[in-house]
Amino acid sequence: MTLTVLRALGLITIQDLGRPGRMHEAVPPGGALAIDRLIAANRAVHNPDDAPALEILGQLVVRAERDVEVASDGRPPRALAAGDELTLASEPRRVAYLAVRGGIAAPRLFGGRGALVSAGLGGVIRVGQRLQTAQLARVRPVPVPARPAGPIRLVAGPDPDHFGPGALDLLIASEYRISPTSDRIGTRLDGPPVPRTQLPEVSRPMVIGAIEVPHDGTPIVLGPEHPTTGGYPIIAVVTRADLGALFAIRLGGAVRFTR
Amino acid sequence: MASWTPLGDRAVRFARPDRSARAIVHAVRAWPGVIDVVVARGDVAAYFDRPPEVTWAQIEALATAPDDPAPVRDVWLRAVYDGPDLEDVAARTGRSVADVCALHAAATYRVEMMGFAPGFAYLTGLPAALELPRRTTPRPRVPAGSIAIATAYTAVYPFASPGGWHLLGTVVDGPMFGPDGARLQLGDRVRFAP
Repeated sequence: MTLTVLRALGLITIQDLGRPGRMHEAVPPGGALAIDRLIAANRAVHNPDDAPALEILGQLVVRAERDVEVASDGRPPRALAAGDELTLASEPRRVAYLAVRGGIAAPRLFGGRGALVSAGLGGVIRVGQRLQTAQLARVRPVPVPARPAGPIRLVAGPDPDHFGPGALDLLIASEYRISPTSDRIGTRLDGPPVPRTQLPEVSRPMVIGAIEVPHDGTPIVLGPEHPTTGGYPIIAVVTRADLGALFAIRLGGAVRFTR
Repeated sequence: MASWTPLGDRAVRFARPDRSARAIVHAVRAWPGVIDVVVARGDVAAYFDRPPEVTWAQIEALATAPDDPAPVRDVWLRAVYDGPDLEDVAARTGRSVADVCALHAAATYRVEMMGFAPGFAYLTGLPAALELPRRTTPRPRVPAGSIAIATAYTAVYPFASPGGWHLLGTVVDGPMFGPDGARLQLGDRVRFAP
């Protein structure tokens, strides 16, 4: 064994790049909340991008049971000696990743090794759990291009008829805060309600990053475990390149959007 | 004219052609760059691993797309009709509880759509006599394996979840979703065996 979990606060899971290709069976894409941060952590320890790593929404304390090389997000790798303890918290962000050289060992279930809580696949990491490392070969890392700072970019639509004129302008002109009730299914945004019409709701295909608006006008950004279909209209969709930046904003933190 | 609308920068949505979900999924998955397809009642979404490139001709061709060549599966689900809404459904449809169970068990269903939760299959073929609107107040928790009806559909809840359908019984011969995936697939012919 490589790591023993001494403390696990919040939601700690093994994550990789998800289980694409099964949405027609109503299986959401899954995978890391902030894909770019998972990739950065993996590359720092010369892992392939899809190596399973620990996703930390809270705080994790582990003890190394043998010498091991680890990395968190984009920081340089560090060597842990047997007996060393490491504390890693998602603060000041919402999520952090701990990658281990070689990857975390996890069974491949249904095309992925990460936890998909909504489908009962993979488990939640608990105190006392012993984690093994996999033996993934070293790869030469390519640098992770930095995302330019600035507001989160949106693609308008696809349901303009369900919103009043100016609804998207309001979303873009306003500051929202990441609601503490957010999870891997949806990230709720506290702020000005988005005005919508009362056209009948139709169950339609959904996508990660879609900003759906329920009756009370509170926008919800769909995360990796989103239902594949849903009835709330979508006012806009977060661009794929900005999803990780949005999902890494700490609970209560501010977010602004742009077109 | 077949048109589509962007669903973000990695997916497109378009009106569903008059084909089975199985045929649509089979055809759209063959488009270059497509990694996923979701077919809903009136819409289809295609998900790409790159910025989507779709032509009208591709969408128009779906109207005559051949069915998935894989054989249609026949699936039997062992059912116990012990649901908490049996008497309510009987009262609303003007039938006895025994009639409701017999009607539901006599029909042959098809998986025409999947959504809502992993492995949740919308089955068409519900006898018209059993069509009811959803419950006015959804239940906060419907147990996994529950056999339910609402509008023109019947379904089995793969996982415990909130739900607004009428509960008729339970599938007792195994989970609807496991490590190998969903027990029901698009196009399956499904019978309930009491």
